[in-house]
Amino acid sequence: MATINNQDNSNNNRQINNVASSKQPLQSAKSVDTQSVLKRLQSELMSLMMGGDPGISAFPEEDNIFCWKGTITGSKDTVFEGTEYKLSLSFPTDYPFKPPKVKFETGCFHPNVDIYGTICLDILQDKWSSAYDVRTILLSIQSLLGEPNTSSPLNTQAAALWENQEEYRKMVEKLYKPAA
Amino acid sequence: MTVDATSAVCNLGILDSLNNSSSVIELLETWNAFCLSSQSLVSTHYSSNSDPSLARDFASQVHILRSHGLQSLIQDHFLSLIQQFFLSNGVSNFWCHFDAYADIVDTDLAYEDEVQQVLHVALEEITLEKQKQERCLTMLTDALQSCKDTTSEGSQKSATDSAYLSSKYQLIVSSTLMTTLPRHFPQILHWYFKGRLEELNTSLDEEYQDLDRLQDDEDMDLDSKEKFFNEKSDMGSDKSYPQGKLLENNNLVKNIGKVVHDLRSLGFTSLAEDAYASAIFMLLKAKVNELAGDDYRTSVLEAIKGWIQAVPLQFLHALLAYLGDTVSNGPHSSILRSPLASHPNSRYPGTEAPSEGLVRWQLRLEYFAYETLQDLRIAKLFEIIVDYPDSSAAIEDLKQCLEYTGQHSKLVDSFISALRYRLLTAGASTNDILHQYVSTIKALRTIDPAGVFLEAVGEPIREYLRGRKDTIKCIVTMLTDGTSGPGSVGDSLLEEINRDEENQDSAGLDDEISTDDKQAWIDAERWEPDPVEADPLKSSRCRRKIDILGMIVSIIGSKDQLVNEYRVMLAEKLLNKTDYDIDSEIRTLELLKIHFGESSMQKCEIMLNDLIDSKRTNTNVKTTIKQKVQSGVDHKENEIPMDVFDATIISSNFWPPIQEEALNIPEAVEKLLNVYATRFNEIKTPRKLLWKKNLGTVKLELQFEDREIQFTVTPIQASIIMKFQEQTSWTSKDLAAAIGVPVDVLSRRISFWISKGILAESFENDSSEHVFTLVDEMIDSGKTVISSGNCEDLAADEDGDRSVATVEDQLRKEMTVYEKFITGMLTNFGSMALDRIHNTLKMFCTADPTYDKSLQQLQSFLSGLVAEEKLEIRDGMYLLKK
Repeated sequence: MATINNQDNSNNNRQINNVASSKQPLQSAKSVDTQSVLKRLQSELMSLMMGGDPGISAFPEEDNIFCWKGTITGSKDTVFEGTEYKLSLSFPTDYPFKPPKVKFETGCFHPNVDIYGTICLDILQDKWSSAYDVRTILLSIQSLLGEPNTSSPLNTQAAALWENQEEYRKMVEKLYKPAA
Repeated sequence: MTVDATSAVCNLGILDSLNNSSSVIELLETWNAFCLSSQSLVSTHYSSNSDPSLARDFASQVHILRSHGLQSLIQDHFLSLIQQFFLSNGVSNFWCHFDAYADIVDTDLAYEDEVQQVLHVALEEITLEKQKQERCLTMLTDALQSCKDTTSEGSQKSATDSAYLSSKYQLIVSSTLMTTLPRHFPQILHWYFKGRLEELNTSLDEEYQDLDRLQDDEDMDLDSKEKFFNEKSDMGSDKSYPQGKLLENNNLVKNIGKVVHDLRSLGFTSLAEDAYASAIFMLLKAKVNELAGDDYRTSVLEAIKGWIQAVPLQFLHALLAYLGDTVSNGPHSSILRSPLASHPNSRYPGTEAPSEGLVRWQLRLEYFAYETLQDLRIAKLFEIIVDYPDSSAAIEDLKQCLEYTGQHSKLVDSFISALRYRLLTAGASTNDILHQYVSTIKALRTIDPAGVFLEAVGEPIREYLRGRKDTIKCIVTMLTDGTSGPGSVGDSLLEEINRDEENQDSAGLDDEISTDDKQAWIDAERWEPDPVEADPLKSSRCRRKIDILGMIVSIIGSKDQLVNEYRVMLAEKLLNKTDYDIDSEIRTLELLKIHFGESSMQKCEIMLNDLIDSKRTNTNVKTTIKQKVQSGVDHKENEIPMDVFDATIISSNFWPPIQEEALNIPEAVEKLLNVYATRFNEIKTPRKLLWKKNLGTVKLELQFEDREIQFTVTPIQASIIMKFQEQTSWTSKDLAAAIGVPVDVLSRRISFWISKGILAESFENDSSEHVFTLVDEMIDSGKTVISSGNCEDLAADEDGDRSVATVEDQLRKEMTVYEKFITGMLTNFGSMALDRIHNTLKMFCTADPTYDKSLQQLQSFLSGLVAEEKLEIRDGMYLLKK
C-alpha cells in the first residue's frame, strides 16, 4: 500500500511540474531531472546495500547524495589482495546520461591509475551507458585492479612492472597506505 | 563609663591641688591602711559582726580617700582584690570537684549519681563564696554611700554606683569562671541534665499515660469522633495545669531549678540553657525514635505532640516558674507565637496564659520533633513505600512534617539515592521496579498533590526502566493480567484506569460549573503557587493531573510501542482461547481506548471483532455441514465429528505477524479442515480460509489398557502422539519427516511427551539417531502427575511455543535492512557517532522501509550489533569490527 501511494504522489508531482513547465521551461526541466536523479541514486543505494557484493561498498556523504565515498578491496589471488582503496564518486546532475567522475582517494599503484587517482576506464568515459550503475562501476574497477589494460597506461612504470607479478606485489605493499 | 570619666577628671583636679607634702603623706598612709584593711576584710571573709572595728576602720578610710576624690581608685583596687581571692579560693576549688571526670567520655549510671552529687556540692560552695564576697562588696558600697550622704550628693547617683559595682562584680565572676572553664564542664552539665530529665520523664510519662488511659475511658461513650478529638485536646490542656502545679512542688524539679539558678548566678546562663536544651532534645529524639520505630501503620505525630505537652513542656513550665522567669506576655508575644504553632490559642484556654518563653520552647520542640520524625521517615521512605497501602499513616505523618519543615528537597535527594542503591540494580526484577514505581506515585501523590517532587523522584526510575528490555512487556502484563489475582499490581493498575476515567468525568463536570463566576472565584481563591522546587519549564497545568497510566507510558516514551506490545499479547491470548469468551479483554480494551484513543486501538478492536465473528461463522459453518451430513451423504467410520472442532478466523492484516511452521496434521483432521474451508468458501465467497495449522489447542485423551489420560496440547504435540497410533516406535528422522518438521523442532516438542512419561527416548547403537517408543504400561505408577489424568496445562511457556512473533522479533526484522545500511556507511566513513548514523539513515533510508526509529531504538539495536561482535564502539564512535 505504502509504495503505491508513493508512486501516485510522484506522478502528481510530475504532472504539476509539467503544467508549470509551460511558463518556465528551463528551470522546471532541471527540477524534474534533479527529482529523477535523486530517485535513481536512492534506488541504486538501496540495491547496493541489499546486494551485499563482497569487497565493494559505497555510501553518500552526509548531506549530499551526489557525492559518494566508495571502498574497494583487492580481489583474492591478485597482487592487490588484502588492500583496501577509497574512492570518491561524484555524480553529475544529468546522471545517468553522463557517467560519474570516479577517482581513487587512496594512492593506487596501477597501470591505469595516475598519481592523482584518475582512472582510465572505458565505461567511465566513452563507453558509458545509462544501464550502468554504482554497483557495476565498482565491480568494474575491482576487476580492473586484477586485469589492467597495459596497452594504454597512465602509469608506465606500473605497466612495465606488471609482467613481474612478484616484484609488482612488493611494490604494491611498499606504496600501499591504508586510509586512517 | 561616664562615671569613670568624670571621676578621673576630678581626680586630676584634686591631685593638682595637693601641693602640700604633709597632706600627700597623710593620703598615702590612709591608702596603705585601706589596702591592708580591705585585704583582711576580703581574706577573713568579712562577717561584719565578727570584727566591727575593722569595718569601722575600713569605712573611715574609704571616707577619707573618697573625700580626696579617689573613689574610682578605691573601687578598682577593691574589685581586683576580690577577683584575686575569687580566683585563688572559689574557682580553683570549684573546678577541682570536676577534675575526676575530665577523662570520662561517656556517662554511665555509676557516675551519674556521683556527678549529680558533686555538682550540687560544688555549686553550693561557690555560691556561698560568692555570697560572702557580695557581702564585702556591700560594705564597700555602704561606706561609699555614707560619705555620699555627708557630701549631700544626689542619692540617685549612689544607686547607679552600687549597681555599677555589682554588675562589675558579676562580670568578674563570670569572666573568671569562663576563662578557667575546663573543657569537660559542658559535658558534665549535659550528663547531669540528661540524667535528671530521664528520671523526670519516666515518672511523668507514667502519669501521662495513666491520664491518657483515663481519658480514653471517659471518652468512650462520645459518638462523634470530631468531638472526641476536640474534647481530648481541651482536656489535655486543662489537665496540664494542675499537673504543672504538681510539678512545681516536685523535689526533682526544685533540684534542677536550683542548679540552673546557681549556674545562672555564676554567669553560666547560656551554658546551662544549652545543656538542658540539648538534653531535652536528646530525650525528644529518643522518644520520637521509640514511638515511630519501624512501624509504619500507625500515625505517631499526635502521640509525639502529646508527649511534648506532657513531659518537656511541663518540666520547662515548672523550671521557668521556679526561676521566676514567667514574664507576663506583652502585646508582642502573640506575634511571636503565631507562625508555626497550629492552634496556639486553643492550646491554652483559661486564665493562665503561657509565658512567652514557654511558647518559644513549644515551637522549638515541635519543630525539632517534626524534623526528627521527618528525617526518620525519609530515611526509611523506601521501606514505607514498599508496603505502601499499609503504611499510609506514616506517609500522612511525613506530609505534615514536611509542611512545617519544608525540607522536601531532602526527601527527594535521600529517596533517589535509596532508589539507586536498592531498586535500580540488576538484581531487581522489572515487575518489582514497576510495582514500586506505582506505589511511589501513589504515596508521593499524598505528600505533594502538585506532583513536583514526584517528577524529580520518578525520573531516575523511568530512566532506568527505559534501559530494560522487558519493561513494556511487564507493563502490558500488568494491564492485561489484572483479573488473574486480587491484590496484584495489575489489578490496581486497571483500577487506576477506572478511577482516572471517573476523574475525567468529574473533571468535565467541574469545567462546566466553573463557567459560573462564583465557582471561578472559589477556584481562584483556592489557587496555590507551585513549590519553589518546581521546574518552571513545565506548566503547572500538565503537572496537576497525575495519572498513573500516563506516568507509566512516559517510561516507554510513546504509546505506540505500548499499544504494539499489547496487541502481540492480546493476539497470543486470543489465539490460545478455546472458547470465544472475550469479555475481560473487551473491558480492558475499552479502558485502554479511553487513554490511548480509538484510532490507536483500532487494530486490537478488529482482533476482538474477529473473535466475535468467528463464533458466529463457526456455528454457521458447522450447522450447515451437519445438515448436509444428515441429508444422506454416507458417514464413514473413521471420521471425526465436526462438533469437536472450532475455528478462529482472523483478518491477518490487522494481526501481528504470526509464526508459521509447516506441519503435517493427521489425515482425519486434515480432511475435516478441508470440509470446513470449503463450506466457509461457499458461505463467504470469494473469501477462502488459509489454515495456520501450527496454531490452536488440541484437547485429547490417550487411552491405554489400564488408564486414560487427558491433555491439552499444541497441534504439533498432538500430531506427534497421533503418529504413535500407527506404530509404537519411531526414529527421530522418520518421525520428523512424517510430521513435516525439522528434527530439532521435533526433539524440542517431543520432550513434552517424554516428560509426561508417555514416550521414552533411547539411542540406536550404530548411529546417533534417537528412537522414541510408546510407554505402554505405567512403569512408574507412583507418579501422581501422570496417573491423576488431569488436564495438563498448555506448555506454552517456552519461547518456541509462542504463536505470535514478539515485538522484538518484528523490530529485529525491520532492523536488518538498516544493518546493511549501517555496515555500508561504516565501511566508507570509518567511524561514526550515534546521531550521525541516525541522521544518515533518516536521510538516505527513505525507500521502503522508511527509517522511522527513535534514537534510543537505534542505540539499543547498535549495542545489539556490538554484542554480536559485528560492531565496535570506541569513544562513542561506532566502527566495524575487523
